[in-house]
Amino acid sequence: MRFADETLRDKLAAEYVLGTMSARARRRFEFHLRSNPQLRRAVSKWELRLAPLADALPAIEPPARVWHEIKTRLQPGGQSKDGFWENLSFWRVSSFASGLLALALIVFVAMPRPQLPVEAGRMVVVMNDLATSKPAMTASWEPGQRGGRTLRIRVIGHAEMGPNTAWELWMLPGGDQKPVSLGLITTHETQVVKIPEVLAAKLDAAQGLAMSVEPAGGSPTGLPTGPVLYAGECIKT
Amino acid sequence: MNLPEAPAAEQLSDLLARCALRDQRAFATLYQFSSAKLFAVAVRITRRRDWAEDVLQEAFVNIWNHAAGYNSAKSAPMTWMTAIVRNRALDWLRRPREIEIDEEHEELMASIPDESPGPEELLRRSLEAGELAECMKTLTEEQQRSVTLAFFYGLSHAELAEQMRKPVGTVKTWIRRGLDRLKGCLEGLGR
Repeated sequence: MRFADETLRDKLAAEYVLGTMSARARRRFEFHLRSNPQLRRAVSKWELRLAPLADALPAIEPPARVWHEIKTRLQPGGQSKDGFWENLSFWRVSSFASGLLALALIVFVAMPRPQLPVEAGRMVVVMNDLATSKPAMTASWEPGQRGGRTLRIRVIGHAEMGPNTAWELWMLPGGDQKPVSLGLITTHETQVVKIPEVLAAKLDAAQGLAMSVEPAGGSPTGLPTGPVLYAGECIKT
Repeated sequence: MNLPEAPAAEQLSDLLARCALRDQRAFATLYQFSSAKLFAVAVRITRRRDWAEDVLQEAFVNIWNHAAGYNSAKSAPMTWMTAIVRNRALDWLRRPREIEIDEEHEELMASIPDESPGPEELLRRSLEAGELAECMKTLTEEQQRSVTLAFFYGLSHAELAEQMRKPVGTVKTWIRRGLDRLKGCLEGLGR
């Protein structure tokens, strides 16, 4: 189906929002909706136009089991009783995320500054889980070859990533400089992050590393926005 | 669960933004604030509590998973969430069913006139003020009735035709012209 015609787009968007389409037509329309921003705009406009109608419905309290089911479904790994959602340490991390990052930065700022010039040397980073203060991830940085170097990551123990989230690795340059993204990582036990040459020298002089939870695709702002789960200081070897 | 006071749109937007950052406490608060209103939407369209519960569950999983896609500049948080619930409810109604379709359909049709408040009453209530109210008045009685029946009950063209005892083509035209008139009127008011 082609949607070059604005009148057609608008007509279909209106029928979709009103809800008169058949199952088949809905599925086809939703398929096009995913790839067509003009169509999405037309739908949003109709949602906005008809929204006041829904306001009239008197509220009905849903039974408690609905929320219970939702929680169970969103728990990574499914059914465990004392999981993620009830875990207090998670809440602590989540609500104080930005505070923790600030704290991490302060700690690194307070550390003695490395002597300049910095050599391209070996270093290791042991990143602690900020909720438990136990080691959760290590990174090792080797003096390198030309054309970019690699940071070897090891995730210690079992780690879960929530749906539609990403883990983003940050370099903490120290001083009053902002964290710099080193890219997204996975929960795999061992992995390698390619560091472009422009960042390699900075990483040589970095004070620490941190990992934050970001929306799928990574931080939309270029700075950590989600909870910081792991952080650690760079140890030159 | 105690029902909190209706929160401001700004507060709901903030909660959605925090959901996008995977803040589960924000999600719990969002549910507390909005679930009763959204459940009413699901109950109205599915006309069965057990189905509405499934729809609400599905919708909130969607809300959590797509919170990052919410844009407060484009729509109010309740408008965005209501659209998700309505879409899940419509998918539910239109889902393929092997048997009992006729029986269920009969029940569905029979239940409509007895529902209270009815669509006309809801229309009157929702339109006591506002631009949509002004514009709804410009529709003919048939246009108004077919648009509101479709909106509140999620009826397809064929179901509407049956409900209104008119040919499908006639009902389609009422809806089409009704929506056109509504759009023209709202745009004239700057929406």
